[in-house]
Amino acid sequence: MYYKFSGFTQKLAGAWASEAYSPQGLKPVVPTEAPPIIFATPTKLTSDSTVYDYAGKNRVPELQKFFQKADGVPIYLKRGLPDQMLYRTTMALTVGGTIYCLIALYMAAQPKK
Amino acid sequence: MTHQTHAYHMVNPSPWPLTGALSAFLLTSGMIMWFHFYYTTLLTAGLLASTMTMFQWWRDIVREGTYQGHHTSPVQKGLRYGMILFIISEVFFFAGFFWAFYHSSLAPTPQTGGHWPPTGIFPLNPMEVPLLNTAVLLASGVTITWAHHSLMEANRKESAQALSMTIALGIYFTYLQMSEYSETSFTISDGIYGSTFFMATGFHGLHVIIGTTFLTTCYFRQQLYHFTSSHHFGFEAAAWYWHFVDVVWLFLYISIYWWGS
Repeated sequence: MYYKFSGFTQKLAGAWASEAYSPQGLKPVVPTEAPPIIFATPTKLTSDSTVYDYAGKNRVPELQKFFQKADGVPIYLKRGLPDQMLYRTTMALTVGGTIYCLIALYMAAQPKK
Repeated sequence: MTHQTHAYHMVNPSPWPLTGALSAFLLTSGMIMWFHFYYTTLLTAGLLASTMTMFQWWRDIVREGTYQGHHTSPVQKGLRYGMILFIISEVFFFAGFFWAFYHSSLAPTPQTGGHWPPTGIFPLNPMEVPLLNTAVLLASGVTITWAHHSLMEANRKESAQALSMTIALGIYFTYLQMSEYSETSFTISDGIYGSTFFMATGFHGLHVIIGTTFLTTCYFRQQLYHFTSSHHFGFEAAAWYWHFVDVVWLFLYISIYWWGS
């Protein structure tokens, strides 16, 4: 259980871990009380505490590594097959569609007498 | 990555300007074929091609910014200027529709009965659903500010909550407008009242849908840890755009729904 100081009721109220660390309206500042000596309290591993991870893990660092590889592949094809399929479909659709469209417009410009 | 001695983003060749231009050609020609011959194949192809172009172009911008780190401070400044200029162009786009509305309503012609709203037109009651719509959009302006502050304080839970509330309010607004449209006794093609009304509110509705899509993109990017507490221009651009849509609605409400009825 975590607590935060409520600026509204001027009392301690229950809170989530994230709020307790950075309460609303208060920027984290230098602690005014001296923290307990490191070995005075039993060590608690970070993996023991509940982490509010409801959205999966952060894959940005590994994706940054992946997209920053200097392999000469342009950005729109960097992910390989899915990118290539999407790119080719788009190209085929636009170029094919344009040719078809020009034919359709030519036919529309020649109405039956 | 090659060594770079400046902070600017030198973009690489991309197929998307070309596919975007061809999609725009398909879209406009498709509309002509639809209007004249009730022929929808080209229009469908144009909509599909432009959606695919938009998806891949913006996906690449996310890759360049979030994954490759090209969006340095000077580059972000350029993005800011770009978004500001885009929104200014949107202001003028809507100014045109307001001009048409005031041109027709301030000096009504004898053909419409010499008054506004024209004879035989029963406008929507501005104190009913349109007032609720105003409240919904104003509330969404509050929730998006809440989302922004949560994002700046690195509070993932609350920024996700506030952002989803903003999106929900956007969808609710669109739903209310759709039900309002089915209630009207006038149409876009039966006179100047319907023409100016549906042109202005219709394009506003389209912008709400675009803004909701932009915010939804931000929601998913936030879930994927794309935004940091100090670097989240994609979100800020969406918020600017959302506020713009909100302000346009206030002008629409005051001019067309309230004064114009």
